[in-house]
Amino acid sequence: MNSSRTRIAAAMTGLVLLMILLFMADLFLGSTRMNFSDVLRSLFGHGDPGDEIIVMQFRLPKAITAVLAGAAMSVSGLLMQTLFRNPLAGPDVLGVSSGAGLGVALTLLTLTPLFTLPSGSLFSGWGLILAAWAGAGAVMIVIMTVSARMRDIMTVLIVGLLLASAISAVVSLLQYFSNEAMLRTYVIWTMGNLGNISYPQIRALALATAAGLVIAFMMVKPLNAMLMGETFSRTVGVRMQRTRIVLLASASILAGSVTAFCGPLAFIGIAVPHIARLVFGTTDHRTLMPGVALCGAATLLASDIISGLPGGGHIIPVNTVTSLIGIPVVLWIILGKTGLGRRF
Amino acid sequence: MTKLVPLVIAAAIILLSCRNEGKSRTGGTGVDSSAIPQGRLFIERIQGATRVEVREPWQNSGGRELVWYLVGRDSTLPPGIDEEQVIRVPVRRMVCMSTTHAAMMRALEADSLIVGISGSSLVYDSILLERIRSGGIKDVGYEGNLNRELVISLEPDLVMAYGVADPSSGSNARLAEAGVKVFYNADYLEQHPLTRCAWLRLFGLLTGKERMADSIVSAVSESYHTLASMAAGAEGDKPGVLLGAPWEDVWYVSPGNTYIGRLIEDAGGHYIFSDMTGSNSVPVSVESVFRKASDAEIWINPGTADMLSDIAASDHRMASLSLFRGGRIWNNRGRIRPEGGNDYWESGVVRPDLLLKDFISIIHPELLPDHDPYYYIRLE
Repeated sequence: MNSSRTRIAAAMTGLVLLMILLFMADLFLGSTRMNFSDVLRSLFGHGDPGDEIIVMQFRLPKAITAVLAGAAMSVSGLLMQTLFRNPLAGPDVLGVSSGAGLGVALTLLTLTPLFTLPSGSLFSGWGLILAAWAGAGAVMIVIMTVSARMRDIMTVLIVGLLLASAISAVVSLLQYFSNEAMLRTYVIWTMGNLGNISYPQIRALALATAAGLVIAFMMVKPLNAMLMGETFSRTVGVRMQRTRIVLLASASILAGSVTAFCGPLAFIGIAVPHIARLVFGTTDHRTLMPGVALCGAATLLASDIISGLPGGGHIIPVNTVTSLIGIPVVLWIILGKTGLGRRF
Repeated sequence: MTKLVPLVIAAAIILLSCRNEGKSRTGGTGVDSSAIPQGRLFIERIQGATRVEVREPWQNSGGRELVWYLVGRDSTLPPGIDEEQVIRVPVRRMVCMSTTHAAMMRALEADSLIVGISGSSLVYDSILLERIRSGGIKDVGYEGNLNRELVISLEPDLVMAYGVADPSSGSNARLAEAGVKVFYNADYLEQHPLTRCAWLRLFGLLTGKERMADSIVSAVSESYHTLASMAAGAEGDKPGVLLGAPWEDVWYVSPGNTYIGRLIEDAGGHYIFSDMTGSNSVPVSVESVFRKASDAEIWINPGTADMLSDIAASDHRMASLSLFRGGRIWNNRGRIRPEGGNDYWESGVVRPDLLLKDFISIIHPELLPDHDPYYYIRLE
């Protein structure tokens, strides 16, 4: 018991330090070269005006977004995995991300012809964010309604998967009938983006993430009980129906908001909870909840640094990096001695 | 979704490698070929036919060349030439897969030969629009969504298509298998505005309006060179020009050796990415474009923006650019239709001299104080 506590404390401290380190690295290693001292001076408002804009308008918001989105998506994934007792569940199984995508697609691909060509804020910035939020929210309401009526959680999972498929079919149909420029905007949206987010938008994202995380942290005890199965949970007094709805709400708020601001960030929500279980050697949500949040933030920061190909001036989509990091990790876990399933 | 990625890349790709070294074989026409760099189109008179060759007809086509023989409608085939490689001229019914092809037909007043067009909503020209409205020109859909039955029922003598990649598996290839003649036009890959305009000569040969095409190309070329030498004499430093727009974190930068890079340099400007060469546009981080743009004074073609506020709304970081406050931001949206047609992509292809004039008046307004840009609007 004691040794596992020391391990957890050590891992937690290590992760906090790692996250701080990666956060700093994300500020210092951009796609253009900049001296260490220039970055520091810019951070404190004494830099060259050009450098200051790069640090304060490009790198800092991106790093903050990476922390928020990484933590939110990963915790959302953890909630889904425990709720469905399925190691392959992630924030997207409920169709919340697809719902956000539908909101964006509807705005970009159908409203555009009605309002002539894209002009004004409807098709950018807040317009798209609100559309994505509305889409994610609509799916969340459907899922919660189903969940309130169904006793069997697997039914909810199936409804979520069906809904996600139906939505992607609608999105394909919209794409089929839309023009090239709009398609490109949509496809680039799906590739994920951490950079083009303003401070007011970050504030909104932070607020939503905080709300989702607070709810999730309050559900630590019922989550632990759920690991023992629904029957056990009931006997220890967990009100399943209510718990489920609260968990779904938290997971949807987290995933929906991140998707609204950053596009669908792939894989991080599935992979990070597994990484955290491995690091902490526990399935106790009291440890996992903060652990997953930290791991998620660190993973997305690292992905962002890599996607900027430091110093090269080029860039690759952050989603591709996250997947390429995440897939080997999950494979390693699946093929490892302790199979994925045994951790549930 | 993954199917779309190549499309996105193809859309982002701009213009292929230089073939300026190729020797002109255009002798015997009224066009001063020395004034127009040789591109991918080679026209040669042979006994009883005109041999038309398109080299590198699409991106990375790996040295492919497509050869056609244009033979008079009632003439006998020259020996050794297969009917499959022959287009009988003048063509009577044509399907245009690009609005630029339709624009060339319009320039030759041969638009009545067009029976089908791809993407009718992208047409700007009012006469073409009227023909589409009255049903004289049918919308045949677009590659990937091509209404093949409609194309075949239109009984075209020729489908003027373009390839973004090897078309052997695409809809156009299915058409060719059905016996429809499909010509792969590579005008959009040309790197010099005049070379692109010179594709008008192909349309001249196809429609029996060769002389008219030659005289238009000559006049445009002469006017272009006059304007370019005027701009070359501009005093002072060449103003830096930023081109294009960011897509979230990425800026697809068009290399310097392209159509538009050429227009900027010929108008006496300095394209900030002129040192970048290559065939494809390159995804560059917005951060590094931003840094480089600090030297620029002028911004051309900022995406689909009509107002400065559109730029700021789609990427708030752009509002911190010093040139954003300078107000010299111009977009090619001076002549557009609410449905999507933009004359810049249409008549602009046939009138590079007019485009250059716009560019000069944007970059060196002192040289053309009375010119009101034709294709361009200033963002406010």
